[in-house]
Amino acid sequence: MLGSMRRRLESKWRDMWQALRLLAPTALTGFASLLVSPLVVLTVVLALVAPGRRLPGATALRAWADTERDRLDGPVPVSPDTSLRDPVVRRDLAWFGMHATLGMAVGLLAVVLPLSAVNAAMVPTYWWVVPENDPVVATYPVTSWGLALLNPLVGLIYAALSLYALPPLARWYRALSRRVLIMPADNRLAQRVAELTASRAAALEAHGAELRRIERDLHDGTQNRLVAVAMHLGLVERALRRDPAEALPMVLRAQDAAADALAGLRDVVRSIYPPVLAERGLDGAVAGLIARCPVPCSLTAVGPLRAPAAVESAAYFVVAEALTNIAKHSGATRASVVLSREDDLVIEVHDDGHGGADEESGTGLAGIRRRVAALDGTATITSPPGGPTLLRVELPCGS
Amino acid sequence: MRVVIAEDDALLREGLVLLLGGEGIEVAAAVDNPDDLLAAVDAERPDAAVLDVRLPPTFTDEGLRAAVEARRRLPGLPILVLSAYVEDSYAGDLLAGGAQGIGYLLKERVGKVATFLDALHRVVDGGTVLDPEVVSQLMVRRRSDDPMSTLTPREREVLALMAEGHANTAIAELLVVTETAVSKHIRNIFAKLGLPPGDTGHRRVLAVLTYLQGRP
Repeated sequence: MLGSMRRRLESKWRDMWQALRLLAPTALTGFASLLVSPLVVLTVVLALVAPGRRLPGATALRAWADTERDRLDGPVPVSPDTSLRDPVVRRDLAWFGMHATLGMAVGLLAVVLPLSAVNAAMVPTYWWVVPENDPVVATYPVTSWGLALLNPLVGLIYAALSLYALPPLARWYRALSRRVLIMPADNRLAQRVAELTASRAAALEAHGAELRRIERDLHDGTQNRLVAVAMHLGLVERALRRDPAEALPMVLRAQDAAADALAGLRDVVRSIYPPVLAERGLDGAVAGLIARCPVPCSLTAVGPLRAPAAVESAAYFVVAEALTNIAKHSGATRASVVLSREDDLVIEVHDDGHGGADEESGTGLAGIRRRVAALDGTATITSPPGGPTLLRVELPCGS
Repeated sequence: MRVVIAEDDALLREGLVLLLGGEGIEVAAAVDNPDDLLAAVDAERPDAAVLDVRLPPTFTDEGLRAAVEARRRLPGLPILVLSAYVEDSYAGDLLAGGAQGIGYLLKERVGKVATFLDALHRVVDGGTVLDPEVVSQLMVRRRSDDPMSTLTPREREVLALMAEGHANTAIAELLVVTETAVSKHIRNIFAKLGLPPGDTGHRRVLAVLTYLQGRP
């Protein structure tokens, strides 16, 4: 019984020391923070008017916050940005404010509580040395032996508080500091990973759909036409043996089927990677599309447009689909295509038609969106009833 | 002879009608989907069906499933399947219900009209006709512990020709050997594949099946 109580007390004692090891330095660093806080407030005010909201002394603040990150066993962020907009700089500042006030208070409390317990226990040994008109105050003024001998009981309360309240207090403040200082497993990164995973899955899906489409086109178009050629040539052969006059219509049919097969093959090839892209570049290829578009259309190409083949191919496809849609559905009298390249390749297709383009009903827009999503790009369409319609596609170029 | 045709490509379908019609084969129905094919089989009770593997609605293996169903409705109905490419699992599906009166050819074989008609006749007569492409693909897949691996190259040739539906006389002609030599090869094949003596016609089919499925 006594033994178990002793062991409990011992473990409490160790907990308290641990709490003190954390909170006593907090009292010191909190106090130091409080001392320099006017300076920090000044730098923040300066940062608010500085170009790019750059915070003077951000690196010193980072170093200061990093000592605390170290103490909390948290990762030290690598972020050269010193702007107030940077999330790490914001965290540094928030922590600084908290540490200079709440941190210092918590730290002081943690130091004072055990000292008060010791003090109260010692009061009976020294209270009588203190001048009567300025007595020892340990929760109450000690002015008599009776009051002095009661004081160790007060010390017990302090001791109990130190043993039982300090460890949870330390844990709470540690958790709070961690929440303020340490990025939560980096949210942005997690989100980016999720986006990339999704777009990669979409890319694979689009790739699979593309392969199926190509296979179907080759099978239904080219292959069947060539079988028809072989079949009609077989019929020609039979006819020539029996009655050569019968052969001519078969020859003509075989010829037509061969021409069809070639046309189909050309379409399939073009849908995989339009050869014109390699020869003329994206702007040249798009100019060709525009020349074939029945609706009068202008082309503006800003800057050098060269992009990876997959991006150019998708861009070409987007413009081709958009122009087909305009010609078929929009009732437009004029259209324009704008191509520009900064980091992303941006395609804007505009028309003055009657608008109301519906993504659900047409396969064209859904096709555009799938093809764009496969490259981690974005496609937005604004098409109010009555028009005009604007399609804007941004394709990242992997740089 | 009366046949029904299922082919979704209009040009090919018309071509087949023309081709078969020109050879005195009556085309009782030429349809473009499996449902109409089965209806035509029920209504016309043809001597054979010629059909494409890929038919609507999904263009995967509707033709094969239609073939299996047609043979269920009209047991023993000779069927010649045409396919744009070789897929030995298709051949396996087709032959699972018995190899007699089954043919599986690449589509382009219709260009060699005489060979195509010969194949059709052999299927109608209850033979098994497999495209040489199917046969060579199956040959590649053989495992080393397979009885097939004990056959000599010549015996394999003979078996391949059997699989394509040729009779001994034709095999002898094609390999430029005597018919006696062919018979000897065939006896060796039966022995190596562990096929018991008995009805020769039946054993031929079993040998071909062994050949196709890698098991007796």
